Amino acid sequence: MTTNPTPTPPVRVVIVDDHKMFRTGVKAELTEVARGRLDIVGEAPDVDAAIKIVKATQPDVVLLDVHLPGGNGRGGVDVLHGCVAQESLAGQPIRFLALSVSDAADDVIAVIRAGARGYVTKSITGTDLATAIRRVADGDAVFSPRLAGFVLDAFGASAGEIAEVDEELDRLSQREREVMRLIARGYQYKEVAKELFISIKTVETHVSSVLRKLQLSSRHELTTWAMGRKLV
Amino acid sequence: MPYAPALSVAPARPRMSRPEQQRWIAGVCAGLAEHLGLPLPWVRAGMVLLAISGPGLIGYVLLWALTPQQEGAEPIDPALPETAETARLGSHLSTRSLIGIGLAVAALGILFGLTKSIGPRLGLLLPVLAIGVVLVLGLTSADAAQRDRWLGRRSGWPSLARLAAGALAVAIGAIVLLSRGESVGAASDIAVATLVVLLGLLLLVTPLAVRLWSDHGAAQSARARADERADIAAHLHDSVLQTLALIQRQAGDPARVATLARVQERELRSYLYGGDVDAETSLEAAIGAVTDELEMAHGIPIDVVVTGEAEMDERVHALVRALREALTNAVRHGATPVALYVEAGPAGIEAFVRDHGAGLDLEAIPEDRLGVRESIMGRMSRAGGSATVRRLDPGTEWTLNLPTPTTGGKA
Repeated sequence: MTTNPTPTPPVRVVIVDDHKMFRTGVKAELTEVARGRLDIVGEAPDVDAAIKIVKATQPDVVLLDVHLPGGNGRGGVDVLHGCVAQESLAGQPIRFLALSVSDAADDVIAVIRAGARGYVTKSITGTDLATAIRRVADGDAVFSPRLAGFVLDAFGASAGEIAEVDEELDRLSQREREVMRLIARGYQYKEVAKELFISIKTVETHVSSVLRKLQLSSRHELTTWAMGRKLV
Repeated sequence: MPYAPALSVAPARPRMSRPEQQRWIAGVCAGLAEHLGLPLPWVRAGMVLLAISGPGLIGYVLLWALTPQQEGAEPIDPALPETAETARLGSHLSTRSLIGIGLAVAALGILFGLTKSIGPRLGLLLPVLAIGVVLVLGLTSADAAQRDRWLGRRSGWPSLARLAAGALAVAIGAIVLLSRGESVGAASDIAVATLVVLLGLLLLVTPLAVRLWSDHGAAQSARARADERADIAAHLHDSVLQTLALIQRQAGDPARVATLARVQERELRSYLYGGDVDAETSLEAAIGAVTDELEMAHGIPIDVVVTGEAEMDERVHALVRALREALTNAVRHGATPVALYVEAGPAGIEAFVRDHGAGLDLEAIPEDRLGVRESIMGRMSRAGGSATVRRLDPGTEWTLNLPTPTTGGKA
């Protein structure tokens, strides 16, 4: 993607967060670290305004707070449900990157299962956030160390459960487990790639595959949370 | 009966109530004077005259029972605001004075009834009055605020004692009333009959008591919710508001502000999502305690991820202490971000401490320097584990490994 002779158009971003201060801060930070690569096209403070502005602006990426007023009271999940099958101007599906102050497992699982492509905490630096947005726009998944830890826990990987075949939805493959462990240890994707002697693209593939399992698995630990939130 | 009209209250007059200030006994005369627009001394004199002649006493007790206390009177309990129910049933005179007056009247009744030195009218009247007062006492007890005090937190022996005293007064009153002029032998028959009647009353009252009790259950759960809210408010006040105040005062010092915010965030997070885990028994809590302490001391954030859970024993304590050293190294010599990942599984516990500093060259560290060699590596090997360090680009990563002892058979 970097060798492309024609410069890639900026990623069009909508920021959804009920705190104006936070929206302003993120906007300033993103403009500073990623001028020309990111274009903030809109912002919204609640569920209904978010759905409206996403449909109106058709962005590439929506930065989505997990806890939002309005809608059916389920915050970011409601926005995801309200924007199903929406496409960006470029004709790609709109990607959502969840952003939260919460570490609660059910918050994480709720937005991921509703379709978010990644989950980062609000303490993330501007540079890392810009990278995460870029990555999500490209269709990859973004896992914070904490989300990786949660995945390892939920799939029983830390207890030694490993999938026999990669396609198995209820367990992680050996490689996926290694990738998740390195992310949990605070490694960047490129460090993970170097550590495992694989390409960054392969790391991204593994992470996306874990995200898919997270969304589709009916594993008990996942479905309990999901059912508690009326997601399945 | 000059005061008969007072009972059918004329609408134009002020609603009759018993004032707090000018009362002698229960404020009936004062209330009556205000209501009728008559001078208070006249009313009192009239009441005393009527009381001596007999019926005035009954009138007084009735008025007392049926007239609400004046608005703005002392609340029974500041925590329990007056409800409509209490206002309607009114007459929340202090329980102590009611009991006192009731017992006094009962005692008088006994005295007069036994000595028979008085006319038949008073001999009849006083026991009836005793019963009346006790019933009033019972009525007031049925209003909501009183009921809470009855059955609520501070119930226990005072409410039981009051019930017992009430029952006793009614029994004595009834016995005296019925045994007027009879022999002692007849009195004992009457005592038995009275007890039977009381038993019947008890049976009648029991369902009501049960209902009151279930009402009380609902009230208690509501109170529990309110208590919880108060707890949360108190916690936010002690933690978040204090920190915000500190931050405002130190707004010029970004590093200090960041530390304050970080520490507060962590504290709040553990309050919201942590539950009551004990650092003595839970690995995750023990690690949380260590990282909190280091963040507070050095002002550098540590990203902590813990998966799985392990029981704390001597070896795990050793691991946590070694981790503490490794983290101290990371926050003092490394650079942010500092990440800690701990994985507890059936095979053992693995912990990784990662920083992004210039890197630690183990060869360059003198053999005798205590910090690294002794407190991390030595500690781990004594606990039956191992510790390795390696340089990354950029940074340093410690790997601590504590395998589950094969003899222990612990899962």
